[in-house]
Amino acid sequence: MQATIGLPRSLLYHKYHVLWTSFFEAIEVETVTSPPSNRAILERGVELAVDETCVPLKVFLGHVDSLRGRADYVLVPRIVTLAKGETACVKFLGAFDIARNAIPDVPLIEYNVDVAAGIRERDELCRVGRVFERNGRRVRRAYDHAKREQQRHAAEVSAEQMAIAERDGVKVLVVGHAYNLYDELLGRPIRETLARQGVEVLCSELADMEQARTLARRVSADIPWTYNKELLGALELYRERVDGVIFLVTFPCGPDSLMTELCMRRVKGLPAITIVLDELQGEAGLNTRIESFVDLIRARGRAGSGVAGGGAL
Amino acid sequence: MSVDLSRVSGARRVSFPHMGNYSIPVKTLAAELDCEIVEPPRMTRRTLELGARHSPEFVCIPFKYNLGNYIEALEAGANLLIQAGGGCRFGYYGEVQEAILRDLGYEFGMVRLVGGFSVREHYRDFKAVNPRLNVRRALQAYRVAIRQTRALDRVEDHVRRNVAFEAEEGAHDRVHAAFLAELDGTRDLRGIAALEERTLGELAAIPAERPRDLLRVGVVGELYVLMEPFSNHFVERELAKRGVEVHRFVTVSAMIDHAGRKKHAYLDRMIEHADPYLRYHIGADGTESVAMTHKLMREGFDGVLHLKPFGCMPEVNAMSALQRLSREHTFPVLFISYDAQTSETGLRTRLDAFCDMLRMSKDRRTGAGADDAPAALASQGGR
Repeated sequence: MQATIGLPRSLLYHKYHVLWTSFFEAIEVETVTSPPSNRAILERGVELAVDETCVPLKVFLGHVDSLRGRADYVLVPRIVTLAKGETACVKFLGAFDIARNAIPDVPLIEYNVDVAAGIRERDELCRVGRVFERNGRRVRRAYDHAKREQQRHAAEVSAEQMAIAERDGVKVLVVGHAYNLYDELLGRPIRETLARQGVEVLCSELADMEQARTLARRVSADIPWTYNKELLGALELYRERVDGVIFLVTFPCGPDSLMTELCMRRVKGLPAITIVLDELQGEAGLNTRIESFVDLIRARGRAGSGVAGGGAL
Repeated sequence: MSVDLSRVSGARRVSFPHMGNYSIPVKTLAAELDCEIVEPPRMTRRTLELGARHSPEFVCIPFKYNLGNYIEALEAGANLLIQAGGGCRFGYYGEVQEAILRDLGYEFGMVRLVGGFSVREHYRDFKAVNPRLNVRRALQAYRVAIRQTRALDRVEDHVRRNVAFEAEEGAHDRVHAAFLAELDGTRDLRGIAALEERTLGELAAIPAERPRDLLRVGVVGELYVLMEPFSNHFVERELAKRGVEVHRFVTVSAMIDHAGRKKHAYLDRMIEHADPYLRYHIGADGTESVAMTHKLMREGFDGVLHLKPFGCMPEVNAMSALQRLSREHTFPVLFISYDAQTSETGLRTRLDAFCDMLRMSKDRRTGAGADDAPAALASQGGR
């Protein structure tokens, strides 16, 4: 029987799904991905999690739980550092142990990335691969292939974004973590509402980390979180090309609580709002906010440069 | 590392946020900057209100207290602020606080000691402020500050364990207050050692009535709310009022012991203690919270209080492990979260219930010998 590995469609899946699926495909391990987030998954996650856990981590626990009995293992990355002098959000240090304690009857398999301590993604993912495939050379080749696929995909996404950014019309940049932006329950309704308003939507996905780091420095000197540097980098990259920014934050995100505050204070002259999502989100209130934000941008656009400042809503 | 002095005009007046009584050793270090020290006013409700008003909504509570301290220090004439760095969001406080204070219109310089606890980097930052500083002077200041810290932690540890049982109310507090007054200003190693010894002797001589079956409770969690009694609503003292011997392991002395080269070995040891509940380090003090709780349970403690600021990620990470530990061993753990709305009354009621539960459970154990301790109070949030 073919071995199977479960991929929870949440958190880092939205950043690494191409890497993971191409890797396991290349070593002939069947991947079972949990369905797009739905109410039941979220509710299960809320039950399993400590109250104060951030929403995406609750969603994640719901996804892990939904893979019960459907795969030999469920893959959970543990990310500590992706570069020297930076860190990942603390939840990525804890996600594996949290899932293990909250859902003890689902077998998990982790890979650990701590570049500052010399623990690299390639070695660790290959270690996971070796559980299924004894031929080490084949596993390493599979990883290298998958990494190239991931980079190709990232470049495509980035080029697509740039193409949108160059188009005419009203454009809004949504700054938020991939696991919120691309989540069926969290980010998708917002992107759709914007699209319904005839607005071009850019997401803060950036291919080139080097570029993101350099650009992020313009907004913040000290910010330590790699994934937040990407968000700041995207903000810097697109800010001249968009008409407004929406910061999409989930309650009570630690890194974003500080980053958004800093951005709101430093990014002047561009209309911006912060939308905080929690697990109780009602769509009506949200739509009203987004619609009035778009109205404001349009009004500002019509008035041309006559309306100075703009500022935050 | 970041030092910005361009906006300081006139004589420099340096200030820093409060944490417990550590302002004493911090002043010893700050004295090496050769400028006037403006100690922020004592923490009050106003400190928190000021801080909360100008802080991001769901940032953790130490940020709000720090910001409140800064505003009150700036009002008192400070124009140079120091912020340290740490292993979580704390490491990023400085830059955002600086932006907030500038938008409020204050003129000041800021020394942001980011990158954790590194004497070498601190020296570089301090040197940028005070070019007359030399390595020998700085090292001596560090030695004295560390010695003061150790004396402080030893004395306060003794008070924590014994104040519940003093025969005459206020006896420990009197000795403690006199000790603090004298420590503040004693800046020679021998003088500090003598003061420490004398104080510990005076404390030991206080008449006490220790019951044989007293309750022992460990306090674990996030370091700021553990070490700043105002921010935890004096929870240790509240426990003592209920006849509890209180143990706490997170102190600045302990942090110094486990910093630098020893950090990795220490973390490995903590992971061992936390087995089987953790396989990896879960960030900042979270691993230690799980390890210490597991250790205290095995040492026969009656219960553990887990304190954290609302939304503190490393400690939220720890909670899933702690809840499982508590469930599997019916070991009582009370979880308390602090934010700007924490109510004192609610906290007291929860402590009453917790201590009553520990008492009943202990009496039943020592009386009938049956071990049917009630299920753990795995309740969440303290608001």
